[in-house]
Amino acid sequence: MLKKFLRNIITYVNKTGKKIYLSVLYGLGKAMAIADLIKRTCKSLGENNKPTYVVMAIAAVKGICRPAFTMMDKTENPETKKYTALREGLTEAIAIPAYWGCGELAGKLAKKAFNNDKALANRAEKNLMFIGVCTAALFVIPALCSIAIKPIMHKIGLKAPDGHKDKNIPPAPAQANTTAILKQSVSFNNSIYPKMSTFTSRPQTGLRVGGL
Amino acid sequence: MIGSVKSFITSSQLANIAQNTTQSVAAETTLKSIGRPGFILIDKDIDSDTKQYAAAKEFLYQATCLAVYMALIVPVFKKGGFKIAKEKIFKNTEGFEHFKNVKEYMYYRKLADNPSVNNRMRTLEKERLTDKTKIRDKYNETLQKELEKKDPDKFAYVKGAVELSNIIGSVLGLAILAPQVSHAFIHPALRLLGLEHKKDKKTQLAKIDTKA
Repeated sequence: MLKKFLRNIITYVNKTGKKIYLSVLYGLGKAMAIADLIKRTCKSLGENNKPTYVVMAIAAVKGICRPAFTMMDKTENPETKKYTALREGLTEAIAIPAYWGCGELAGKLAKKAFNNDKALANRAEKNLMFIGVCTAALFVIPALCSIAIKPIMHKIGLKAPDGHKDKNIPPAPAQANTTAILKQSVSFNNSIYPKMSTFTSRPQTGLRVGGL
Repeated sequence: MIGSVKSFITSSQLANIAQNTTQSVAAETTLKSIGRPGFILIDKDIDSDTKQYAAAKEFLYQATCLAVYMALIVPVFKKGGFKIAKEKIFKNTEGFEHFKNVKEYMYYRKLADNPSVNNRMRTLEKERLTDKTKIRDKYNETLQKELEKKDPDKFAYVKGAVELSNIIGSVLGLAILAPQVSHAFIHPALRLLGLEHKKDKKTQLAKIDTKA
């Protein structure tokens, strides 16, 4: 009703030619539309708040903000920044459909399993969706990332800068050239591998999704 | 075995967690903080120093996220969101007029979720430990009448407003704030644990350079 009233006023102002008020009226209309949208969102979230919504929202914002923060870092070299930002963006781009897919799949499974009891099916759907989201976060996304990211980066033509190469491989040539000095300064703790603590950049092994 | 799985899947407590943004995000982050370092530690392809470092880093990251989320985001956004929705967006309509704060609504919702009317009535007659008044006295006549019904109104708009503000808080907290906080906290913590040394990289590079 209020919307109709506002529309009538806009038509009247248009006719009278006092167009200076039009921008104010359009602004008011926009604010009302936003309030309306918030109300509708509140109603739908209040009736059914799926566990996938929040994790997908977090992944979407992370997918935008983390690469942006990385690109704003002035201390890192441009190639490393590009590589890291793309990797972070890709991780979150994989995470969004993975969360959605696992959640929906688990929810559908619950509906099929409890199709004779609607109340139980409804509860089981939400519970299994939540379990699906947790599974995605713990297993599916790290697995998908380790399978997909390297080939994608390779196709794009971005190679890991020196700091991002596999830290498991001992730097053999450097060791051979500097044996005398390294023996005094770096302790290898009876292992052929150098200590991780000798590197300040993060390791590229294991699960890294969401980490620094 | 099948019975216990079924009862877990259809558990009302799990459904409450799945439907509550704060609890589901906290549960997921807790799982990640245990699961991800665990998977890193059982990986046989990485040497033990790297494993320890990566697992400690992942654990610290997830723990920081959880701490920031629980300490700052939950109270601020939950309370703030309810207040803004009550006073500015809904202007004390759609059920907001019955509740002073989010705590009061959550308690009502918990009671309304109980399927047994008798249990609800029994809870209403109980005395509060703090001021010896009955729980019934906390609610106005409308709410008391609702609780006497088989299917009481759960005020979806109020629940939705709380969930929406929690989602916004979770996104801001976990995607923007927590990574910044953990970035500042993780390296000193790793140094404190003896897994990272401040001058290692610089010293090693300097030695290699002079020899080359």
